[in-house]
Amino acid sequence: MEKKNRLWIAIFLLPSILIFCLIYGASVVTLFGSSFTEWKLASKLEFTGISNYVNLFADKNFLKALSNTVIWALLQSTIHIFIGVTFALILSKKEFYWKFARTAYMIPNIICSAALGMVYLSIFNPKFGAVNNIIRALGVEDFSQNWFMDYSSAFFTVTITWLPFAGVVAILVLAEIAAIPEAILESAKIDGAGEFKTNIYVVLPLLKNIIGTCVIVAATSMLKNFDIIFMTTNGGPGNTTLNLPLYIYKTSMLENNYGYANTIGAFLILLGIVMLIVINKAFKLGQSDI
Amino acid sequence: MKKYLKAGLSGLLAVAMTAALVGCGGGSASEDTSASADSKVQKEPITLKFPTYLCGTNVGAAPFKVILENFNKQYGDEITVKVEEIPSDDAYKDKIKVLMSSGDLPDVINGKQGLFDLAVKGGFALDFTPYMDADPEWKASVTEAALKANSRDGKMYSVTETADVVGYFYNKEMFQKAGITPAKTWDEWFSNCDKLKAAGFTPLALMTGENSWTTNLILASLIGTNGEAGNTFMNTLHPKNYNTPEVIDSLTKMQKMLQDYTTSDAVGAKYNDAANNFLSEKAAIIANGSWMIGDFSNTEKAAAGFDKKVGCAAYPESGIVTAYREGWMVTSDDDAHKEAAVKFVKALTEDAAQLQNLELSSVIPLSPTVNISDEFKEKNPILAELINANSSIKYRYLEMDNIDYANVTDAFANLYPALAMNKMTAEQVVQQLNETAAKNTD
Repeated sequence: MEKKNRLWIAIFLLPSILIFCLIYGASVVTLFGSSFTEWKLASKLEFTGISNYVNLFADKNFLKALSNTVIWALLQSTIHIFIGVTFALILSKKEFYWKFARTAYMIPNIICSAALGMVYLSIFNPKFGAVNNIIRALGVEDFSQNWFMDYSSAFFTVTITWLPFAGVVAILVLAEIAAIPEAILESAKIDGAGEFKTNIYVVLPLLKNIIGTCVIVAATSMLKNFDIIFMTTNGGPGNTTLNLPLYIYKTSMLENNYGYANTIGAFLILLGIVMLIVINKAFKLGQSDI
Repeated sequence: MKKYLKAGLSGLLAVAMTAALVGCGGGSASEDTSASADSKVQKEPITLKFPTYLCGTNVGAAPFKVILENFNKQYGDEITVKVEEIPSDDAYKDKIKVLMSSGDLPDVINGKQGLFDLAVKGGFALDFTPYMDADPEWKASVTEAALKANSRDGKMYSVTETADVVGYFYNKEMFQKAGITPAKTWDEWFSNCDKLKAAGFTPLALMTGENSWTTNLILASLIGTNGEAGNTFMNTLHPKNYNTPEVIDSLTKMQKMLQDYTTSDAVGAKYNDAANNFLSEKAAIIANGSWMIGDFSNTEKAAAGFDKKVGCAAYPESGIVTAYREGWMVTSDDDAHKEAAVKFVKALTEDAAQLQNLELSSVIPLSPTVNISDEFKEKNPILAELINANSSIKYRYLEMDNIDYANVTDAFANLYPALAMNKMTAEQVVQQLNETAAKNTD
């Protein structure tokens, strides 16, 4: 019987496996294969061994892009998650405003990120942007900060275009909170736990799995973050806001160096796998139902 | 029995799902086969694939529409042009590169932004030499000089219909109030900037985002008018050594312009920001080509009567940007498509097309046989001023976009902020440019 089930499982998995192999599998194999070559547009492909990988670590743009990507992934998996979970805990009390707040908080997450980039370019415009105008209105006359292009503010400004908007995390966590049996919360109340202690000692431990999942989603989203950076700073000033996806784009589309771009891509995939393993271990995902 | 029926149905469902997936890719092949069979019976028009940036707000969209209509009238029965609109130069370049890497190029492409060299290097481009030799009238209208600029190893790989002649536009009213006239030397240029500032105007509409277009035109002019060495540099394709006294001196001057004489949003600004600053009279000077002239009388972009306030001049030291753009290339696979594509390229570049470009986009024609009438000049005084300025020029040079590798043009956008904010000296910027250029292997 078990053998027969396996057969049916295999048959029904076949379409998904085919899609994966044709679309992702072949691409990943090509990516890794060509990462060991010198492959430039309109030139012949030449096998170069691991030289691309060796060159990565002498490439200061790559190192900057890597460090920015890792920093953003860390910020996203800590501060972004903290904001989202806190927001969900507040909304879970279902005060009169909760539906409005939930919807409003989702809005930045449903706007296309290229459009969001244009919005932020206007908000932080040094000449007519809202931020500078508010600071001027507060009495700092002649204030003029080029938020996206000044070395001192570019990284911070790009970061806040996505960091606080944890609508997806809030929605997922909120759904999980709603699934916590009322009896558990009642028991905590009977035992004398206040709202804060209930959240810390009862609710949060029960949210471990969903928070872990959110951390994976948030951290890996930084491995493919491209549009907003491209629209706002294009990695500048200098390479202050360069990240790995943007560096891949520049290497392939501006330098036509597909081999090296694919080496960075292969590194990015490995970085993603390491992140998944670390987060899975940290949250012990899949080891318990809660 | 019921059990077997259930199992059989499940099996059929799985097979159907798999077959549907596989079948998705097969449809077009069978359609192609039937189309091919039909073509044996009745001769179908040849379909040319033509992705283009000549759409939307692109200044060339209006003349292209007319040119395409005329082409369809003439060749509609035998050639169908399948236009794919790609509304931005960068998106166009990226798309063509992707198609090039997958060996699936359309029939006609434009060689802009480095695509020309890639198409030639990859062996995709058709040599126009026999077609030009067979059609002296067409050859004359696209000029020997432009064809030479679009040739490699004696083969004509692309045909252009325009030569960019780029000076700068200035606000005559602001100049008058500041008591200045267009500068004859770069010292006078800076003195003019000081006087404009003293009169309460921001002198320059610069931008360092995208391809740093308006800023790089002035940089090109600083270098290109800096003696013979500077001029030679600005007429040399793909330099790898920017560490020359002329480039360093020019970048130092540009640093001063970015720091003292431009709008507060110039660093990081895109072309539209700079254009808007000039059109809304927030800056006195913008470097740009004749295609901007239409904007001056467009009341959606500028106040009514703004065009009367605009003058046009050559750069100090009698310099003007004069660049033959990379033009249209035929990259078809088979002879029938090649022949049809050549006809289409001819329609895009011959006298009639150049006339449309002049009348609808203020683009100066290449052809000596396209006469710019006195009546036209009277109606278009700014263009007439540019044509006049262009007639007695000491230094001619290319645009930075023309000579730089694509990654160097991109690097400027990230290095200008450093220069403007004193994070880098001109010497350090030059060093970075050299490192970026060195990544390209010809």
